Amino acid sequence: MSAEYTCLVVEDSPMMRQLLVFALSRVKNLRVTEADDGVDGLRKLAAGRFDIILTDINMPIMDGLKLVKRVRTDPIHKDTPVIIITTEGAAEDRKRAIELGANAYITKPIQAPQVIAKVKELLKIAT
Amino acid sequence: MAERKPGEKVAPEPSAEVKMERDSFVHTFFKKGAEFTDELLRENDRLRKRLFDLESENAALRTHLASDEAIRELLRKIEYLEREKEQLLSHVREAERNSSHLFTRYSEVEEELSNLAHLYVASYQLHSTLHLREVLRHLKELLTQLVGSRAHAFYMKGSNELVPIASDGIELPELPRLAIHAGSRKEEDRGSHDRTGELIERVFMTGVAHIEEGDLSVVPRDQPAACVPMRIDDAVVGVIVIYSVLDQKEQFLPVDYALFKMLGAHAATALMGALLFADSKGKFPGLDTIAAITWHAARAGGDLK
Repeated sequence: MSAEYTCLVVEDSPMMRQLLVFALSRVKNLRVTEADDGVDGLRKLAAGRFDIILTDINMPIMDGLKLVKRVRTDPIHKDTPVIIITTEGAAEDRKRAIELGANAYITKPIQAPQVIAKVKELLKIAT
Repeated sequence: MAERKPGEKVAPEPSAEVKMERDSFVHTFFKKGAEFTDELLRENDRLRKRLFDLESENAALRTHLASDEAIRELLRKIEYLEREKEQLLSHVREAERNSSHLFTRYSEVEEELSNLAHLYVASYQLHSTLHLREVLRHLKELLTQLVGSRAHAFYMKGSNELVPIASDGIELPELPRLAIHAGSRKEEDRGSHDRTGELIERVFMTGVAHIEEGDLSVVPRDQPAACVPMRIDDAVVGVIVIYSVLDQKEQFLPVDYALFKMLGAHAATALMGALLFADSKGKFPGLDTIAAITWHAARAGGDLK
């Protein structure tokens, strides 16, 4: 079975990354690539093309918001949907992320069905 | 003209009056005959017309009868279709019920899968290392990322006291050591620290977790949202204290209870394993050690203890 969609998960916590990969493995035809911080994420974005990006905000070296800014200036990924996954639940953080170009915002602790539904919605995959 | 036979008498010629009378009679007779014929023809026409009318009426009646039969047939068909429609509707309703039941079941299975994934990931990460720093990092991450804790600490049993060994969201030096009073604490001595301390102590002594049920936003600030005893076998060796949770964490969910249960059973063993590993300066036991333990167990006539 060949993957129709590609997804990049940028998260510094191995636990969260593993959980996200588990959740996303239930989306049919989705191939997931992992990156452990913003810089690693950028490196992987430069090496390939992704249909969706999930990123944490608080990460060492380069945080998720800077990554979103970079993604929006990248000609290949400027329109790629980005989901921010973070512990910050405040409305201003959400607003800031959306203003920077994020498409959706999910707060931790995450629930797999919520992540799956959001990814399917942004990739326009019928449920 | 016919030839007259001999001897035949010849009738005298009728008189003109008789002739006239005869002619008049014949004329009248023929006239009456013509009238009668006319009358007969008219009657015939009338009867033909009547026959035609009757035939038309008969045809109409036949058509009507056929139409009635068709209507009856249609009515039978409608009745049959109505029954069929009812059956189909009943099937649809049943299918909808099944579909709804399946959807509910699917959602339950999805949730169960998600919960199992949480437990698997937590357990996998917790036991993926023997380095104390890593074990503590994983424990903190587990509480932050999977449970939604904002501030928490780990208390381990020392000699007659509970000692905070690690914390997140709250400075470790701020956390007091808790003497184990075994319920001898005086009521008037209680401050907010003491109430928390008392709760931690109670959870340690009883081995029964304290987990706030319902809305977590209404839990008093000086009261932990959850205290979970850590066990090794049947002995309680410490307590995980969750002081506060993230704003968006409205309440503990079934998966959190399952995680607390898993932590109660595994956090202490992971910590203890890491401490033993640190104590052995990062050396794994060799085959000689395993053989010696097995030999001693065999000599004692029992299992490995």
